[in-house]
Amino acid sequence: MVEVTFCVNGRERSANVPTNKTLVDFLRDDLHLTGCRISCDTGVCGACTVLVDGSPTAACSTFAFEIDRSSIETIEGLAAPNGNLHPIQLAFLKADALQCGFCTSGFILTVKALLEIHPSPDEPTIREWFKANICRCTGYKSIIDATRLAGAMMLEAQP
Amino acid sequence: MHKMVAADVDHAPLERLDGRQKITGKVRYTSDFALPGMLHAKVLRSPHAHARIRSIDFRAARSLTGVVAVVTGADIATLPDPFYGVGIRDQPVLAIGKARYIGDMVAAVVAEDEATACRALDLIAVDYELLPALMSIEDALSPSAPDIFEQPSGGAPLIVGAGAQSLKEPAKNTLYEFRYGRGDADAELARADHVFTDTFYFSRIHHFHLEPYVNVACAEADRIEIWSCNQDPFILRNDLSRMFGIPANNVRVHTAMVGGGFGAKSYCKMEPLVVFLAMRTGRPVRLCLTMDEAFHTLTKHAAVLTLTSGVSRDGILIARKSDIKLDGGAYSDASVSTTIKTGYRITGPYRWKAVSTVASSVRTNIIPGGSFRGFGGTQSSFASESQIDMIARRIGIDPLEFRCKNLLSPGEPFAPGDSAIDSDFELGLLRLAAKVGYVDRPKVPGRGIGLSIGLKDGGGTGNQAQAAIKVTDSGDIIVQAAAVEIGQGVGTVLGSIAAKILDRPLSAVRYAEIDTDHTPLDTGTHVSFATTVSGRAIEQSAHDVKRQILQFAADRLGCTPDQLTLSEWTIRIGNRSHDLRAMLRDYYGPVGTEFVGRGSMKIPYDMAAPLGSQNLFWMPCWSAAEVDVDAETGQVTVLRLVVGADAGRAINLAACHGQIEGAALQAFGQSLFEELVYCGDAPANADPATYRVPLASDLPALFESFVEQHRMGPGPDGAKGIGESGMLGIAAAIANAVEDAVGVRITKLPITAERVLDALDQKRKAALTG
Repeated sequence: MVEVTFCVNGRERSANVPTNKTLVDFLRDDLHLTGCRISCDTGVCGACTVLVDGSPTAACSTFAFEIDRSSIETIEGLAAPNGNLHPIQLAFLKADALQCGFCTSGFILTVKALLEIHPSPDEPTIREWFKANICRCTGYKSIIDATRLAGAMMLEAQP
Repeated sequence: MHKMVAADVDHAPLERLDGRQKITGKVRYTSDFALPGMLHAKVLRSPHAHARIRSIDFRAARSLTGVVAVVTGADIATLPDPFYGVGIRDQPVLAIGKARYIGDMVAAVVAEDEATACRALDLIAVDYELLPALMSIEDALSPSAPDIFEQPSGGAPLIVGAGAQSLKEPAKNTLYEFRYGRGDADAELARADHVFTDTFYFSRIHHFHLEPYVNVACAEADRIEIWSCNQDPFILRNDLSRMFGIPANNVRVHTAMVGGGFGAKSYCKMEPLVVFLAMRTGRPVRLCLTMDEAFHTLTKHAAVLTLTSGVSRDGILIARKSDIKLDGGAYSDASVSTTIKTGYRITGPYRWKAVSTVASSVRTNIIPGGSFRGFGGTQSSFASESQIDMIARRIGIDPLEFRCKNLLSPGEPFAPGDSAIDSDFELGLLRLAAKVGYVDRPKVPGRGIGLSIGLKDGGGTGNQAQAAIKVTDSGDIIVQAAAVEIGQGVGTVLGSIAAKILDRPLSAVRYAEIDTDHTPLDTGTHVSFATTVSGRAIEQSAHDVKRQILQFAADRLGCTPDQLTLSEWTIRIGNRSHDLRAMLRDYYGPVGTEFVGRGSMKIPYDMAAPLGSQNLFWMPCWSAAEVDVDAETGQVTVLRLVVGADAGRAINLAACHGQIEGAALQAFGQSLFEELVYCGDAPANADPATYRVPLASDLPALFESFVEQHRMGPGPDGAKGIGESGMLGIAAAIANAVEDAVGVRITKLPITAERVLDALDQKRKAALTG
């Protein structure tokens, strides 16, 4: 067991975690943050993507103890506490950028990290960032559209 | 020339009913489901492609702390019927006496947690006697090949109609054969000015659905309850009822939101095993497969298709003979119906005087083939649309013009006895050609454009859907149908059909979770069926409720229903209006009331139709690819991909584009690089780390979808399904573009640089020696 102290979706937490527990199991089974999905379970598909200190990270291929003193952001932390959706979430709805939804949490978090670095990304940049996330349903076009829309909405919202 | 009409009509965008749940991560899939006291199962799989199981020693596994049960084929054999499969039922719940492919399920462990179950698998010792592995259609059909099944299997071939024959296990290692003919194909070919024979090789791919295969079951001797990611709740209920000998009213199937399937989650898979384990242990059991295991569960059929087609001097198609062999893999699954559909669709969207088709599914020691978006239509469209293009070029007619000369017209039957074509194939083809600038394309070395029209039938053979809606006195609507929300947006489409009739906003609708105890029956979420068949059932349900509402109001107001209208949950008579909710509360009291409306649609059987029922609607896929081929390396770059489908009338236009684009990208991957490869008797890349699906970075620079709305569909207001369309024409369009660019024909998928380079080398050599 390892004691870890971390921040998840803005809340300070501490826990004792077994050394062989993955971050995705810890998030889903212990913290009940089930929006983080297990799919390929080998760090390929991106369905389990969460942000660790702002970086997209495959939670299936990260040990829970590795998050000690880190800040974790999951899909559950994206909407405002009053329930108002994040502009990226709104953009995904507006661009119909989801079908089965199993990749959606991971994609939205990847887009959040992308827009932090490239507030107004061009299409090649978006395609490059999306190499870590697989969507088998949409053909990606609508997700790329949603990303650009979200970027524009976020820039517009800035003072 | 047809008058062009706008492809996309103005349409208020609909927000998906499941959208908010999905973008907030709150949506619950079967993989999120748990019950108190639940145990976890894991499966031991055969490491051998073909082997007799002499004995299984699981004593060490059984005595491991935390292990609750170990089950083998010997236990399974005690079931009233341990076999499943569509039509022909040859797949045992666990291997009984023999393993037939690498990955075949041989034993199962149930433990307190998954990790313990995995450890126990390593402690099971299986004594195998190896048998020759039959790793190709050729191997399996060789006279010296051993039988993969020594005994005839259960079940029956599916019933077909006029001109068709359906044969169960007609020859060694042949699961099934379908024959269809009309006219005298041999005589017509003998009279034709040109006859061409070509063979095409269609590759094997896996679905790569992101949500795993997952089931949770509890069961007693006379009662089964299962939470399943399966997309066919009522087919599953029937299978479980038959296999366990329990009446269907004591089998209850729950289906949550499904995280992608593309065919993988259709029909019975490991559900009976999970039920068996729950029955054996007396506790709830969960089995969640890894993605590696999903790869070892089902594939899209690889196939070899040889087409002999006759054509007149002036470019009129005369007759086609087809010999088609699907690699069905080790077990039947949906091979019977896939074979029928491949064989029947091989003539494509064209007019023929005579047709003769033999299609079979061959048993091999390979992962079973089964449902995959397109269901035989992708195999037949690749072969047919490749050959149509080749013939056009050989006889010196432009492929576009050649297609237009031979296309079936709207209203013309696909085949004698079958339904009429309900789409203007030429209109869509001309729009496609205009979009890619086909007609006046400049000749640039190494560049080319290919066109194709994939085609498949939609709606299914003899299918039915029942449906219901419940409407509260406030006008809130619960839509009940067994069409599974698998990402296609069925809840939104059915909800908007009901909302429109009752003049309610879509936000007033909820699509109910499926539970076979309460949800009206349908024949499964298949064949792009829900918009049309379930859609009509929901349309009737909503009209039923509207009738009840108007009758209620007429009784209360002392008039007749035809004097009343319903809008914005208000009853209007002349220039007076009455709040409907207030009227209902006045009459029924403070708890209010609920209206229940019902509807159903059945596609009738018709033995005068070749497949035993007339096809409900036709799904064309107009596809164009513009490619650049590097003559030095053989590398094909798709510069532009355009794909269109006919939605009849689009109910949710954005979702139509999403369906077309998603299907097109799956086919795009298969066309160029995606393939489940075997090396010897083992799959070489049956895992997510080595199997390559298309990424966003693989998208063609220009990728466009278009939605035709020819308004001839049998669904509400002329709608029809399009879920599979986008998959059908892509591979042939790319192959046709490669020939247009560099003059070589690739007949084998995927169209890799190696294959193109090899063809270019052969062409150069031929030019030198010629």
